[in-house]
Amino acid sequence: MGRTSKDKRDVYYRLAKENGWRARSAFKLLQLDEQFQLFQGVTRAVDLCAAPGSWSQVLSQKIGGQGCGHVVVAVDLQAMAPIPGVVQIQGDITQLSTAKEIIQHFEGCPADLVVCDGAPDVTGLHDVDEYMQAQLLLAALNIATHVLKPGGCFVAKIFRGRDVTLLYSQLRVFFSSVLCAKPRSSRNSSIEAFAVCQSYDPPAGFTPDLTRPLLDHSYDPDFNQLDGPSRIIVPFVTCGDLSSYDSDRSYPLDLEDGSEYKYTPPTQPPISPSYQEACRLKKKGWLAKEIHPQHHPISRVDTLPQPLATPESHTLLAPEMEDN
Amino acid sequence: MDALEDYVWPRATSELMLLPVTGLECVGDRLLAGEGPDVLVYSLDFGGHLRMMKRMQNLLGHYLIHGFRVRPEPNGDLDAEAMVAVFGSKGLRIVKVSWGQGHFRELWRSGLWNMSDWIWDARWLEGNVALALGHNSVVLYDPVVGCILQEVPCTDRCTLSSACLIGDTWKEVTIVAGAVSNQLLVWYPAAALADNKPVAPDRRVSGHVGVIFSMSYLESKGLLATASEDRSVRIWKVGDLRVPGGRVQSIGHCFGHSARVWQVKLLENYLISAGEDCVCLVWSHEGEILQAFRGHQGRGIRAIAAHERQTWVITGGDDSGIRLWHLVGRGYPGSGVSALSFKSHSRPGTLKAVTLAGSWRLLAVTDTGALYLYDLEIKCWEQLLEDKYFQSYCLLEAAPGPEGFGLCAMANGEGRVKVVPINTPTAAVDQTLFPGKVHSLSWALRGYEELLLLASGPGGVVACLEISAAPSGKAIFVKERCRYLLPPSKQRWHTCSTFLPPGDFLVCGDRRGSVLLFPSRPGLLKDPGVGGKAGTGTGVSGADSGSGEGGNAFVGWGPVSTLPSLHGKQGVTSVTCHGGYVYTTGRDGAYYQLFVRGGQLQPVLRQKSCRGMNWLAGLRMVPDGSMVILGFHANEFVVWSPRSHEKLHIVNCGGGHRSWAFSDTEAAMAFAYLKDGDVMLYQALGGCTRPHVILREGLHGREITCVRRVGTITLGPEFGVPSLMDPDNLEPGSEGPGLTDIVITCSEDTTVCVLALPTTTGSAHALTAVCNHISSVRAVAVWGIGTPGGSQDPRPGLTAHVVSAGGRAEMHCFSILVTPDPSTPSRLACHVMHLTSHRLDEYWDRQRNRHRMIKVDPETRYMSLAVCEFDRPGLGPLVAAACSDGAVRLFLLQNSGQFLRLFAETFHHKRCVLKVHSFTHEAPNQRRRLFLCSAATDGNLAFWDLTTVLDCGSNALEPPEDPGLPYRLGTPSLTVQAHSCGVNSLHTLPTNDGHHLVASGSEDGSIHVFMLAVEMPELEEAVGEAEMVSQLRVLEEYSVPCAHAAHVTGLKILSPSLMVSASIDQRLTFWRLGHGEPTFMNSTVYHVPDVADMDCWPVSPEFGHRCALGGQGLEVYNWYD
Repeated sequence: MGRTSKDKRDVYYRLAKENGWRARSAFKLLQLDEQFQLFQGVTRAVDLCAAPGSWSQVLSQKIGGQGCGHVVVAVDLQAMAPIPGVVQIQGDITQLSTAKEIIQHFEGCPADLVVCDGAPDVTGLHDVDEYMQAQLLLAALNIATHVLKPGGCFVAKIFRGRDVTLLYSQLRVFFSSVLCAKPRSSRNSSIEAFAVCQSYDPPAGFTPDLTRPLLDHSYDPDFNQLDGPSRIIVPFVTCGDLSSYDSDRSYPLDLEDGSEYKYTPPTQPPISPSYQEACRLKKKGWLAKEIHPQHHPISRVDTLPQPLATPESHTLLAPEMEDN
Repeated sequence: MDALEDYVWPRATSELMLLPVTGLECVGDRLLAGEGPDVLVYSLDFGGHLRMMKRMQNLLGHYLIHGFRVRPEPNGDLDAEAMVAVFGSKGLRIVKVSWGQGHFRELWRSGLWNMSDWIWDARWLEGNVALALGHNSVVLYDPVVGCILQEVPCTDRCTLSSACLIGDTWKEVTIVAGAVSNQLLVWYPAAALADNKPVAPDRRVSGHVGVIFSMSYLESKGLLATASEDRSVRIWKVGDLRVPGGRVQSIGHCFGHSARVWQVKLLENYLISAGEDCVCLVWSHEGEILQAFRGHQGRGIRAIAAHERQTWVITGGDDSGIRLWHLVGRGYPGSGVSALSFKSHSRPGTLKAVTLAGSWRLLAVTDTGALYLYDLEIKCWEQLLEDKYFQSYCLLEAAPGPEGFGLCAMANGEGRVKVVPINTPTAAVDQTLFPGKVHSLSWALRGYEELLLLASGPGGVVACLEISAAPSGKAIFVKERCRYLLPPSKQRWHTCSTFLPPGDFLVCGDRRGSVLLFPSRPGLLKDPGVGGKAGTGTGVSGADSGSGEGGNAFVGWGPVSTLPSLHGKQGVTSVTCHGGYVYTTGRDGAYYQLFVRGGQLQPVLRQKSCRGMNWLAGLRMVPDGSMVILGFHANEFVVWSPRSHEKLHIVNCGGGHRSWAFSDTEAAMAFAYLKDGDVMLYQALGGCTRPHVILREGLHGREITCVRRVGTITLGPEFGVPSLMDPDNLEPGSEGPGLTDIVITCSEDTTVCVLALPTTTGSAHALTAVCNHISSVRAVAVWGIGTPGGSQDPRPGLTAHVVSAGGRAEMHCFSILVTPDPSTPSRLACHVMHLTSHRLDEYWDRQRNRHRMIKVDPETRYMSLAVCEFDRPGLGPLVAAACSDGAVRLFLLQNSGQFLRLFAETFHHKRCVLKVHSFTHEAPNQRRRLFLCSAATDGNLAFWDLTTVLDCGSNALEPPEDPGLPYRLGTPSLTVQAHSCGVNSLHTLPTNDGHHLVASGSEDGSIHVFMLAVEMPELEEAVGEAEMVSQLRVLEEYSVPCAHAAHVTGLKILSPSLMVSASIDQRLTFWRLGHGEPTFMNSTVYHVPDVADMDCWPVSPEFGHRCALGGQGLEVYNWYD
């Protein structure tokens, strides 16, 4: 497996590098825009959880460069390499100060579009991952209620797992149109999709409050059942036309358009990931190692505790054995 | 909706579950394990044996268990009864159990209390429970009534990733919260002046650069440990956390894991951490690693528990396995390595070779030709003999068997061999066998009756000496029985030998990597041509030199069967016979299972050892029935267990090129090697086993990608199938003969697993695993299901052919044979025989004109498989594969699976093909027609008529563009745009009126159902030679757009009026068909996330249907028809 194998397996990864996008997810926003004309008439846009910045790149290209009054603000907890035409805020989206700072950059005007492509680092435990993703989305929604103009649009990543219908019902409270969209550049094998919420219309009497987290709904026996027929499943839209590349397909390195393949290094490697120190230590062989018995003289054989016999246990799931 | 409809038929109930173990807790000698919403209660005895007491089902509804908190009893007695708070996600339930004297009873359970937010920690505060919730708030909850008594938020409502509650009363309760900002926040909920008034954090502690996943507080020493995403564990000196304003001091920053750390636990003297790298590390409080426990497979260890009195650590993995480890004794029962102090003035010369005769006598020879004995019990050296003929070059090999039979053999560079009785070295017998160097020596022992010594000389000649002892035991007799001739090669000598039971043949391995079968008494064979062919001295191998028989220059008997270069150029290192099979190991890093059928060696299965260990040196069967592999991993000698994936013994010996010896008995093992002119000895009690115990076997290390049911075996009462002892729990239909379903699962962990799922006990047994794939396995298909004795034979059993395929364009074909075996827990044994394999790029490498062809992308993944069986005997079957490079490929399997070749392909879809499905159409007076349906990521279904593809002159196929390339499949008979995006499930069912119901489920959550009509042109029109072409037509078509909230990955039409679907949104839904649009009947929430496949089958009228869901775990449902 050479460095080109990922290029072969994932055509969008490769195209992103070749087109200077920081991540393949740039295509997802482009394809969402193709379907929903998200950027039409947008002058002020916010990119939440922006790092590494591919969506900000798209926003700055589509909105930022169009003259005065067009502002793109990118917010992330982590540092991000600068992008021309994008105002960056390194801050926490759960803080009121961040919302105020965003509005400040818009000179007091609310935003037309809020996007959030953030995802937690998945742990592999599905319920935790889905919960953390939902909290990220709700935090994004919470700050969006502060900065979004009525009628504005909100796009955020969702994991379509067990409790995604609870998120749909929460989003429905704030937007008159909620759709689930999946761009063709998102793989079939991935459970990610995007909630495209249009026409921001908070319920009467709602006052935005960042000091209180928005919580996801719980199942309701009447209109959003756990296992009954009435679950809130919003319409699903596939974005991007069929002529676009298939993200699940493996393509040969020489694409059909005749361009010759040339390896491109990643556009923007991650800035100080959390595992940096561990990797540095590992590279130098400085990770703590266990002490092997040979390094310690252990006196005599007969002082050791009697070992145990391993029982025969090829059974994955034993039957219950009760002797009463 | 009225109540009646709530119980609409059919209703699926969960029968068994194999999920990641997400919670573990030791309570006295009980172990609680959380698996999905169920709690498994085990009892542990002193020996570390685990006995399942009870599965408490469905404690948390659709939530998964993340922890238990046992209510501390004032008298400290938890042996008889306990009150347990079970929590996970947003759910909490209290259950009161009685478990004294081996009896388990659930006394009471509270309601399932739903919180508004995630529960990160729970703590008993007298009768109530304090809960740390997801957005940094603490709730005091009455778990009996089910109401919030008080809720106190922090002023900082950040999202948490972990929390730890400390204190025994609400007044002193302290929360340490791990925020997503990587900080620790310490605050005191009781400081709230009024209810719901936020409390400011008392302290903020920074240090980690990643999210904190777990913490543990040790009150007695005032220590706090945290585990983080940044792959480190930190130890903090915090003092008494219940006192506000204390100092927090980082006293240890431990890097030892190679991935994220999920769990940490502080014990009085140790710190235990475990993580994504599947390693459980034991640290001292000073941050020094004392032990590393390795063995779990897959995505990590999710739960740890400690039994401090017994000093055990128990870990639960993502692979659903549970293991027990010993904290003391450093895990290794080995006494380490000791030098035997050979060097002395009285013992001149340097050591050349070492061997072990049994487990307590060691023999070594020097370059002066002196043979020494070292008794491991008396611990002293003794010279046995000295012979100048054995100077400088000397081979030394002790006889096998208990205490080495008291014999050893030496051989020199001039063809001389000496057999030495160790107790009476003066009775040694010398023989000169060859005019040149003896290259190798090996023994073969048959019971106590026959002992052979094989010596390889020049020219590939192997002399076979028969050794016997005089009844007095004082003298031995050495008689040359015969000579064998090895196939020619540069390094032409044998390396190992053993008797093939019952003893008519010898199995040998040679330096060229071949495995050979020789008759053990070729002289008794009347006609040498029958049993073995004699070779001549011309150096031609025995196999093709029949003409030389009876000639003057007879050199030796050739092998009757050869597997040439089975282990590659580095040679075979050992042969072992066990349980009807021959096992060989080689320096290619693999071990083979073989058997002898009709006098011929046949490979059954090739298995790889652990990663990086390319020099396998031997294989041993251990008393518990599993095997261990000996080998060299870089400069270490390793005893590795394929069953537990553990390195049981590691000896840093410097590599396998030096002289070494190994011996093991049930009680002890020893490994001796030469280093620095001395003999080094490693010894361990308990043979090759290690006192680490697998409490429960894991299933797959990664996601299950495909589930296929093979068949059902009915075991009568004579096989003693265990049934549930508790008659109250007996489901109707679970009495009577034991039905066991055989199911095959394959996984991203590159293995294919054969499972036995008895219907009576709700248990699951892994019969065998096939590990031939180099990349993830995505699909399996099964065909040719039968019974071992044919349809007339009433004996239970099952045979089937299986083809598996996955990443790196790799496909394997094997057969399985499941037979009753009373010695196993499942009463079944599964024998696997590998038949053939195929890789697309390998196929290209073999083509002669490959420079003119485009190499098929080796990264192509096979997404799905379907077997198309023809009704004419001897033909096919065809295996259709959905490929990620946009092709549907047809492979032809010939010789009952022995030969697989790419036959035809089509790039019709031009997108990643996700599913293929085959079905047949039968109509009176017509040829049975075979159809294939393929579906791609664009939501398009294509139907192909494959009936005539194998006929001569068929126009179903277009000839290849280039000779040597596969045929091209023509245009499809029908295409249907069923969905807007990828199709993840596909199924068909013939209806009574001669049509076919076709159902597909998609990534967008929609289900598409239509009726397909197969129309043949009228017979009058089709007269003549013209081939009949079927016409496919869609009759009725229905779509359910929002059937599920995520990918529909499982779909089965059970009858023309009933369909079942499964999705990643974790719902199993029944649909009514046949009245227009499919209508929702009911759905059940299941617990396996990321379900990739589903299979359903009817079991019996009494038992109803069974359904297996495979994803991140396995769950089996059943319902009554």
